[in-house]
Formats: sequence, C-alpha cells, structure tokens
Amino acid sequence: MNSVETKDVHLYYGDFHALKGITMAMRKNQVTAFIGPSGCGKSTYLRCFNRMNDLIDGVKIEGDILIDGVDIYKTNIQVDDLRKHVGMVFQKPNPFPKSIFENVAYGLRVNGTKDKQFIEERVERSLQQAALWDEVKDKLKKSAFELSGGQQQRLCIARALAIEPSVLLMDEPASALDPLSTAKIEELIHQLKENYTIVIVTHNMQQAGRVSDHTAFFYLGELVEYAKTKTIFTNPKDQRTQNYITGRFG
Amino acid sequence: MNQLDKELLQIKTKVEEMWTLVDFQLTSGKEALLSSDEELARRVIKSGKKVNAYDIKIDRMCENIFALFNPVAIDLRWVLAILKINSNLERIGDYAESIASMLKEATPPIEPTLLEESRLLKMFEATEAMLRDVRQAFLEENTELARQVIKQDKRLNKIHAKTDKVLMQYFQTNPDNIYQSLKVAGIIRKLERIGDHTTNIAEEIVFYVDAKVVKHKQKKKRNKDKE
Amino acid sequence: MAFGTPSPSHKSKKLSQSIAFFVFRLLSFSVVAILLVILGFILVQGISVISWEFLTQMPREGMTEGGILPAIVGTLWLVVGSMLFAFPIGVLSGIYINEYAKDSWLKRFVKLMTNNLAGVPSIVFGLFGMTLFVNQLGFGDSILAGSLTLGLLALPVVIRTTEEALKSIDNSFRVGSLALGATKWQTTSRVVLPMAFPNIITGLILSIGRVSGETAPILFTVAAYFLPKLPNSIFDQVMALPYHLYVISTSGTNIEASRAMAYGTAFVLIVIVLLVNLLANWLRRYYGKKVKMN
Repeated sequence: MNSVETKDVHLYYGDFHALKGITMAMRKNQVTAFIGPSGCGKSTYLRCFNRMNDLIDGVKIEGDILIDGVDIYKTNIQVDDLRKHVGMVFQKPNPFPKSIFENVAYGLRVNGTKDKQFIEERVERSLQQAALWDEVKDKLKKSAFELSGGQQQRLCIARALAIEPSVLLMDEPASALDPLSTAKIEELIHQLKENYTIVIVTHNMQQAGRVSDHTAFFYLGELVEYAKTKTIFTNPKDQRTQNYITGRFG
Repeated sequence: MNQLDKELLQIKTKVEEMWTLVDFQLTSGKEALLSSDEELARRVIKSGKKVNAYDIKIDRMCENIFALFNPVAIDLRWVLAILKINSNLERIGDYAESIASMLKEATPPIEPTLLEESRLLKMFEATEAMLRDVRQAFLEENTELARQVIKQDKRLNKIHAKTDKVLMQYFQTNPDNIYQSLKVAGIIRKLERIGDHTTNIAEEIVFYVDAKVVKHKQKKKRNKDKE
Repeated sequence: MAFGTPSPSHKSKKLSQSIAFFVFRLLSFSVVAILLVILGFILVQGISVISWEFLTQMPREGMTEGGILPAIVGTLWLVVGSMLFAFPIGVLSGIYINEYAKDSWLKRFVKLMTNNLAGVPSIVFGLFGMTLFVNQLGFGDSILAGSLTLGLLALPVVIRTTEEALKSIDNSFRVGSLALGATKWQTTSRVVLPMAFPNIITGLILSIGRVSGETAPILFTVAAYFLPKLPNSIFDQVMALPYHLYVISTSGTNIEASRAMAYGTAFVLIVIVLLVNLLANWLRRYYGKKVKMN
C-alpha cells in the first residue's frame, strides 16, 4: 500500500522551476530515502508532503499529492490537520525553550488536548518510542536545552510522534550530530518503520544505504532514479546516479 | 580524478604487473615443452613467489578500499571482481609453475608423436590465447571479448575430454614411454584448470562491467553441453 | 625566504597596527571620559540638594525652595500613561510586521514610515500633540494629551525593538511549531514571543528612559510651569522633571537662587534614567536565563 503518492508534481519558486514533474509512490511502513546534490529539489519535494512550502512567498505547486489517499492540496484540507498527520523532523535539533515534558506535550496542547493524564501517558510513550525515556525520565521538568544535540534530536522525534502521525518526514535528521548519536537515530528509524511511513532526506550516502528500503535520486529538480536501495547502491541504471553515489559528480 | 580513482588505478596497475608474471609463467611452460631449459624452469618457480606476494598485496589494497572508501555501485563491483580475479590469477600462476616443474622432470623432451597426438601444444596455445584475450577484455572493459573467452573454454574441455582415450592408445603402441604420457595427462589436466580459472576471470569482468551474473547461467549451459 | 626571519614589511605592518589600536583606544576612552565628567559634575553639584524634603515636598518661594514632588509624580504619570498607549500598539505592530505581513509594498511602506517617525524632531511631536489631542479632540493640557504625545514618540522605538527581537528568533522554531499542527498565532504566542520577550522588554524599558527625559512633546500638551499640587485625574495638568529643570534654569523667578534646585532636579532625572537602564539590563539577564537560548 502507498502512503504517499504524487503525480506529475511541478513546483515553481517565482520563475524558477524547482520540481519538474515528479511521479512516485512511497510504501507504507517503509523507509524511503531521497538523495541528490544540494539544490536538486529533494528537500523541497519533501516539504510538499506537509505543505511547508506554503510558508514561502511565491511558491506555486501543480500536480497531485496524495497522503493515505487524500489529495492534500484540495481546498477543503486544513493545513494544521494535515501536519498532525504528517510529522516532520528537521536538520538542526530545534526543541522549544520549554521543559522536556512541555516540548513533547506541545503538539497535543496546540491541538486542543486538555486531559492531563492523557498528555502524561502520551509524553511517556512518545519518549519511549524515541528511545529517550530512560535518559530523561528523572528530569522532565528541566529545560530541553540541557540535553545533548543527539538527545535534542530524539526529543524532536518524540515531539513529532506525540501527535501520532502516519507519515514521518525527516530532513537530514542526523547531519548535525556526532557518529554515536547518528547511529542511535538510525537505529530508531529501523524501529519506527514498524508503525510509521518514513521519508528521509540525507546527504550521507551510507546512511541512505543503512536505513532505507527504497532510494530516490534527484537531480536538477527531476527524479532520475527510484528503486530498491540495494539496487541503487550496487547497480544503478542511470549514469548520473552512478556518478553521484560513487562520488564522481560534476 | 578523485582519490578513490587513484587508489583503484594503483590496484589495477598491480593486477597488470601480476598478470604479466603469470603470462610469463605460462609461456615459459610452453617453451620448456619444446626445449628442456632448467634455467627457465628455475625462473618460473622463482616468479611464483613474486605472484604470491602480488596476491597478498592486492588483497590488502582491496581491503583498504572497503574499509576507507565505502565503495558502491561500479566501484563496489570492481573491487569485488578484482578480489576474485586476483585469486584466480594466483591459481593460474600456481598451475603454470607446477607445469614448468613437471616439464623439467620430464627430460628428455617429450616424444614428438605423443606431443602431436595429445594435442598438448594446441591446448597450450588455446590457454595462452584465452588468458591474453581476457586480459585485453579486462583492460578495455570489453564484455563482448570476455564472453568470447567463456566460449573458448569449450575447446579446451573438448581436448581434455579426449585425453584419456588418446593416451590409452598411445600406451598400447608405446608401452615404453608411460612416464612421459602420465606427465602429459597431468599437464593437460592442469591446463584445463587454467582454462576454468580464466573463464572465472571473464565472468567477473562481465559482472563488474554489466552487473550481470553469467556464472550460474554459464555453468548450467555448460552442463547441458556436456550431456 | 626562510620561515622565521622577519620580512621587510614586518616592521611597518606592526607599527601601523599599533597606531590604529592606539587611536581606537583613545577615542573610545574619551567618550567614556566625557560621559563620566558630565555625570560626575551633575552628581557632585546635585547631591548636596538631595534630601527627603526635596523629594517629598512642593516647591516654594518661586521654586527656589522646597521640593520637586509634583514634578516627580507628574513624570511618573506621563511615563505610565505613554507606555500604556505605546506598549500594546507598538508590540502588536511589531508582531504584525515581522510575523504576519507578507513581503509587499505595504509592509515596506509601513517600515519606512516607522523609521521616518523615529527621526522626527520631538518638538514636531509636541506641536502635533497640541493640535490633535489638546485642541481637536479637546483633551486640553492634560496628562492624557501629554501621554498620548509621548506615546507617539516612543511608538517607533517600541515597534523597531519588537521587530528586531522577533527577527532574532531562528526560523527553525517557528517551522518546528507549525509542523506540529500549531496555527500561526499559537506559534507566535507560545514559542516566538516567550523567546523574544527579554529583548522586547529591554527595548520597552529603554524607551521609558527616552520618554521620561523628553521636554518638547510635553511643552504644549501637559506640562505646568508651576503647579504645587498632585493630579487628581488624567485630565489634570502636571509638572514634569525635564520641563521643571528647563523652567528653573532659564525662566524661573530667580535663576541664580534656584541654581541648586536645578542641579538637584537634574540629579533626580539622571538617577531615574540610570535606574531604568539598570532594570532593563537586569530583566534581560533574568529572562535570558529563564528562556535559555541555544
């Protein structure tokens, strides 16, 4: 089953044609990695899935994007509802200047949950899912900024999980972290895919190889090649893909 | 040219040097066939040690590539292929070496009728040609040529298949020269093995260039041919 | 050339660097020195006048005797009044400009006008306040009119500091909040404003310092030459410290006799401004710790 499906998606920043007709489908409970050089459109494409591109002036999007079968650019779609359904983790850990507990509870609170007990349970569960609970259970009231970078990033993952999305978008989630923290995040991705569909943008080729089931290579706003990760890394069909993953680009 | 390319080129150079040695070993075997030259045989055996040193060196270089460069796609297949080509070459060198030492012991020179009837020389030439072609295929990344080499191996197999029968006949007519015919039988068996290893190298070339596995298919086909 | 042997240009490079550093150091020290001399002069001259009576009594004998209580109280009224007006409008405008307004000609126009407003001489504000609040709206010379005029003066400063404070918040926090399904207002009020708060509050307090020292805007709108009583409502006139200082130094009944009073008034005014600035610093540090940034 496909969790995310796009048909002939074009995106323009003013006059700049950033995405050129992308048609692809991401399977449910699988990890799909987007790779490609900077400016190839992979992050832009990812941000279409939770309509983060709406925040940028002068962006025009054409084509269909379906999340769990729903066309998310239809007029009756509420963007905040969509974003509850499609969580996102960013490149730089960006916890709010609040306590660890409040960071995870934030998504629930802004979406109108008042039940204290429910919030407490959900916070604990999300922190456990993000493999952070044991490290922070005794200091939930402490500021999130007291955590290390890797812990902060897992906190951001817990924060996204708390509102129970079905799709989790990760935009270079480990690029600002040290190798140990990176390994933890990657391990986490393997566990999370049981319950979530994960789409990850990464500049780290080995990371794409380690965590993803399918890999898509983007170049100059086009989807050049999309196949099983194993195939992409052993026998890519397109010369551009080959040049990119073997480091012989440009 | 990036650093990985430079490293790969160094490995390729090493493989070529090793290949030259193995070529020399095989050719010297043929020469020894025609004139027993103890000095030549000694050099073949000496170069065997060099081949072994290359084998270890190339293995180590490939190991470093895996550890330091995380090769993928064509690079990954290339290094994997080199590892196998390397060990196949080393085996070929071993066989060539033992052929040379067998010929040294087979003095006086092999009796012309035996040489003629066993088609030993032809087999030698075919093996040499195969090794030469596969080397060219390797240098040019020419999979067409590599596939032809795989086909050439059949000729060797045919000669080999008839060896027993031919030698049996020779025994009956020349019962006094059993020693030499045993040697010939041994050499033919080793040449056949060299052919197999050369074929393996050809298959690796097809694997890394075209990413197609011909090994399995070819063996099936070969079995069918035999039936 | 071997490493370790000085190049021919080495000496001149070093010399020019020393000269540059000396000049910079001299200039920055002289600024501090001038400030210290002014402050010291006023403090030395004024400190002898300061007494409990001076702070708590009405002026007497043609403002040559007694205290300056009505001026202190009047200034406090004006500060509170002007800030009640300027804070909410200024902060909300700043939020609108930085968080909501799309990058359009309108936004650019508003920003340009705000900057222009900040550059308008304060006497023009005074005249404007007199025309609009005192005459047109009929507030008369009153705390209300004066506060609104001072508020207008403070407005661009408040807007600018709010805007700058918001601008300094990394966009990743907004994006992070929005990605969790928060609305723009939830994002602004729960994430962005708490983070920007220390800087906003500092800007606000600094504008208080500015307002409390202004003379021209209150000249025609509220300030009384001599009014030895405390105000009862916002429609009363009041005395104010800066104006009082102006009056007793230039047009008092006996300028020579009230010289000491003038220094005392200046002393009080400066101390108030300094205290406000210290408070701003302290608040920024306090909230800065509470809302610890990355």
